[in-house]
Amino acid sequence: MKSFWSIGGKAALSYILLLALVSAVYGLSGCEAHRNPASLSLEAPSWAHPLGTDDLGMDLLAQLVHGAGVSLLVGAGTALLAGLGGTLLGMAAAYFGGKPDLVFLALCDFFMGLPQLPLMIVAGAFFGPDTGRIVLILSLLAWVGPARIARSRSRVLMKEPFVLASRSYGGGFAHIAFRHFLPHLAPLVSAAVMRVVGMAVIAEAGLSYLGLGDPLSKSWGIILNRAMAFPGIYFTPFWIWWILPPLAALILFSLAIGALGRDLERKFNGKL
Amino acid sequence: MKPSGIHRVLTGLFVLAGLFAVNFALPRLMPGDPFLSLSVEDGNVNVAFTDEQISHYRSYYGLDRPLGEQALTYIAGLFRGNLGFSIYYNQKVLDLILARLPWTLGIVISSLLFSVVLGTLGGLLAASARNKLLDSALFTLGTVLSEIPPFLLALMLLFTFSAALGWFPLSGGLTPFRQHAGLAALTADILHHAVLPVLSLALSRAGEFFLLSRASMRTVLSRQYMLTARAKGLKRRRVLFRHALKNALPPVAVRFFMSLGHVLGGAVLVESIYAYPGVGKLMREAVGVRDYTLLQGIFLVVSLLVLAMNALSDIVHRALDPRLSAS
Repeated sequence: MKSFWSIGGKAALSYILLLALVSAVYGLSGCEAHRNPASLSLEAPSWAHPLGTDDLGMDLLAQLVHGAGVSLLVGAGTALLAGLGGTLLGMAAAYFGGKPDLVFLALCDFFMGLPQLPLMIVAGAFFGPDTGRIVLILSLLAWVGPARIARSRSRVLMKEPFVLASRSYGGGFAHIAFRHFLPHLAPLVSAAVMRVVGMAVIAEAGLSYLGLGDPLSKSWGIILNRAMAFPGIYFTPFWIWWILPPLAALILFSLAIGALGRDLERKFNGKL
Repeated sequence: MKPSGIHRVLTGLFVLAGLFAVNFALPRLMPGDPFLSLSVEDGNVNVAFTDEQISHYRSYYGLDRPLGEQALTYIAGLFRGNLGFSIYYNQKVLDLILARLPWTLGIVISSLLFSVVLGTLGGLLAASARNKLLDSALFTLGTVLSEIPPFLLALMLLFTFSAALGWFPLSGGLTPFRQHAGLAALTADILHHAVLPVLSLALSRAGEFFLLSRASMRTVLSRQYMLTARAKGLKRRRVLFRHALKNALPPVAVRFFMSLGHVLGGAVLVESIYAYPGVGKLMREAVGVRDYTLLQGIFLVVSLLVLAMNALSDIVHRALDPRLSAS
């Protein structure tokens, strides 16, 4: 049997698992190096500080590891909220049809018609700088993808004999949705949810970069924001250990999510 | 079933109404207060307004009226082209935006054009390549490019080509205080500043246009009429450009107009990174000083642009694909 993941997919999976593991160990160890000055400011990489220190003398490797945890939590939180919420809405729209379906489609058109990032910026300014609220905003904008897939697939399933039979025996929405729709939807929706994770992590970094992130959280975007705000960043070699690591981490993350999404799509689109 | 024209118009109006509602409500619900921001100036000067002054300004700007009345005034003003007055900049919002818009539209449109040409030619090359290695190399490159977000690419390009190599300016849209010898020198200066922002926006878009046009070309190339065209003895170039490309283009053209929203969104971040004097940088400044009216105005103008382009993409789609309007 051919392996489930491609080579790129395996590399992507190991990268994300590595991030999760390292940031979890760091978080559980109770180490506070990411927010306590440990040394002189703006030190070059050394054995004590492998990625040097920032303008306040905080260890940059610790910030990077801590930031990985923040990014993964934002991605996972948004995926969970937008994925579950969107799937539920999509299934409901397909099940009830008629007016609820029209409202659903209008909502989809509304969220897809507007430019996402400006909307996020306006909403982010309104909700205030807090990681939890950013997850809420991102979910509010990201549910459309999984929801549309869930709706179109559920509409096909509604005509299947086993669903008709179940309904004729009195199966209600909850029963049909969770027993009959969900098992068929899960693989397809998982690819859409993977895209939501990537979007959420990148959008959080972008919002944080613009100064709309939680200033206490030290996510990758916040590190970039602080580094770019440093007056001499262009004229000193500091950017090599201050900007490049979070930048590379983000780009790799984006590529990894893309590879996983492609693998999931290839696997399940062929099957269905 | 393809949605009918009337349905499209209704959807557009609905989105527009929702846009007005969101646009009116959100800035008013934001924490912070424009007068708070005005009272405390950074630097050595500390200006504090008395309560009396604040309530005077509040009523002067109409912020003490009931919400419903504010909403009606706002929407009535919009239709007269009045986007309000920026409290922070002491200028009309529309003037502020119009002054910055050419910069943004300049980089957005040139990056869209650049990416669509680059992506389509790449797609044509990959799909028609007899050399499988070339196809898969291009495919990998296109996939990777399409997945790097523009603002991360912007940081990468900025530090490589401006900070480390010094080939391009670090920030801005023009060299400040320089007396330009003529129109040619001025244009050259503007182009020199625009290269990196345009590249940052264009490369990921080019990756997407590449993937789309490659897929579209492959479908067209597998059609029977391609075989006929080749059997007629037509030159390879003529078959590729006149027979295949023409039929592979409609999805690319539609995506071209649909992309404006994404590219404008990316431009907000990219402009911030290069301190490029466009609308995106203005938006960041407006968030920083809690300038309600300015933020509203920018969001509205950007959204209207995107909605207009979406409508245009629909028209283009119908024009390019007669099957749609016939049904």
